[in-house]
Amino acid sequence: MSSPVTTPSTKPNTIGDPILSATGLTKVFVSGGKEFRAVDDVSLSVNAGDVLGIVGESGSGKSTVARLVMRLIEPTAGRIMFEGGDLTAKSGEELRRMRRHMQIVFQNPHSALDPRHTIHSALAEPFLIQSKLRGIELERGIDALLDIVSLPKAFKYRYPHELSGGQKQRICIARAVALEPRLLVLDEPTSALDVSVQAQIITFLQELRQRLNLTYLFISHNLAVVRHICDHVIVMNQGKVLEHGTTEAVFAHPQNDYTRQLIDSVPRLPRLAG
Amino acid sequence: MTALLSIENYHLDIPTFDGTLKVLDGINLSLAQGETLGIVGESGCGKTVLARSILGIGPQRARRTNGRMTFDSMPLDELDEAEWRRIRGVKISMIFQDPMTYLNPLLTVGRQLSDVLVAHARALGRPALSRQERRRRCNELLEQVQIRDPERVEASYPHQLSGGMRQRILIAMALAGEPKLLIADEPTTALDVTIQAQILDLLRDLVDRLGLTVVMISHDVGAIAAIAQRVAVMYAGVVVEQGATNDILTRPRHPYTQGLLAALPDIEGDHQSLEAIPGTIPNLIHPPSGCRFHPRCPRATTICTSEKPAMTSIGADHVVACHHALD
Repeated sequence: MSSPVTTPSTKPNTIGDPILSATGLTKVFVSGGKEFRAVDDVSLSVNAGDVLGIVGESGSGKSTVARLVMRLIEPTAGRIMFEGGDLTAKSGEELRRMRRHMQIVFQNPHSALDPRHTIHSALAEPFLIQSKLRGIELERGIDALLDIVSLPKAFKYRYPHELSGGQKQRICIARAVALEPRLLVLDEPTSALDVSVQAQIITFLQELRQRLNLTYLFISHNLAVVRHICDHVIVMNQGKVLEHGTTEAVFAHPQNDYTRQLIDSVPRLPRLAG
Repeated sequence: MTALLSIENYHLDIPTFDGTLKVLDGINLSLAQGETLGIVGESGCGKTVLARSILGIGPQRARRTNGRMTFDSMPLDELDEAEWRRIRGVKISMIFQDPMTYLNPLLTVGRQLSDVLVAHARALGRPALSRQERRRRCNELLEQVQIRDPERVEASYPHQLSGGMRQRILIAMALAGEPKLLIADEPTTALDVTIQAQILDLLRDLVDRLGLTVVMISHDVGAIAAIAQRVAVMYAGVVVEQGATNDILTRPRHPYTQGLLAALPDIEGDHQSLEAIPGTIPNLIHPPSGCRFHPRCPRATTICTSEKPAMTSIGADHVVACHHALD
């Protein structure tokens, strides 16, 4: 996207280099004096241009990992490197500047948008916070975003409740790509959507990745979706990484018993004829 | 074979502030004793309203404008509350998506299960069961849903049990009246995939062992395929296609069914590109004229905009409502 939206990225991404890596990531929640290890010594690395999937059942810690790498919550231990910089060591203005390059899309688009803000102000917010774009240029930026997610410009004047779930999720994605991030963390982006809409969003995400040269960290409990969209995959259970590898290898030849059980549990459909 | 449940030309409206929602538009379904029917469709297609209407617990303002439902040769639309009490939860019972919502957090599981037995006895005008009898029956019911340590579970509160366990308990409650028909509304949607597999196994087992007739509603084609012998596909308040599960899934004839299946990513990993169905589901206050799917249909022609397609038989136990059904 060569739009007047933001200043161009300082560093071109070289395909193959890790854009994000985490080592020994651990998060301990304390509740009622008891410790709970939500994430236990997780290491991962995502290469630029790749899609890394994290799959697991509820309580496996996959969403906590998403929040940790975004530093929305603070890790108890471990290090997160983003584009060669140590994210865990950053704070204040420096962290804020790094953050524009990594964005997150949440599961439920119905609660991710403020019901009292128009789509216009939802889309303007990232620019107002992170850029100096104002006035007519801001308008152009917002129009460009609506273009990217293939929604009509007139949507600017609508409120979230006037949009369908799939349209809202597109707005959330538009917001996330506003500042031309290099990494997009997608936390169950299609779980709240119907299958026909899920297919729209997945196809759109795949296209968007090509167009904007994005890297995805894709969190999901839906194994079929993960198999469809991810290049590499991590299987988590009870806060630990049980298995990781290329999607093909993990799905075709799971090494871990739990992974095998997980894959076998998904009901199979008879093949379409012809 | 006479049908246990038959639904004929059923129309349902729900008046709202913005206008009247035409939620069900001429539903025809019939279900024989011992059969398992899956109703699949996306959110807003009317599948839950339909299921609840079978039990007489549809939205309060909902109005039947045409058609009828018959269960075990009883006209369901003409029953009064007292008659309903002898059927609802007894002859026809239902399980729901989120088991926690249907369990009282303040009472033990044993107490809630035994309350169900008491209520059934009262509704049927039978003498109340003694404490021992209730206890024995509770154990029996929990064993039926493959709970190995019924005593411990009975003494537990819902929050002490896992989601899968809670769903088993709801199923046990649903079985308490020895129902002829079980309606399962998204019974596995809130569960993890490994637990989902266990619950589907249990339902299959109950169908085999108790000869239970089941209507299972889900948006998850996979879950439906795992238990249903027959499938009805719903779109915007209309059953668009109905037939044997294998036929529907391998040779869909309605463009919507075909689109729905093409939109599903495949766990077996064919990296085929997903085909989305363009557009969104219609507003049921002003549903599209003619075929309700025509604005999103790749095969639509002028006749589709003006004439509602009739259900046509296109093979043994396979019907489709489309002017341009696929070959």
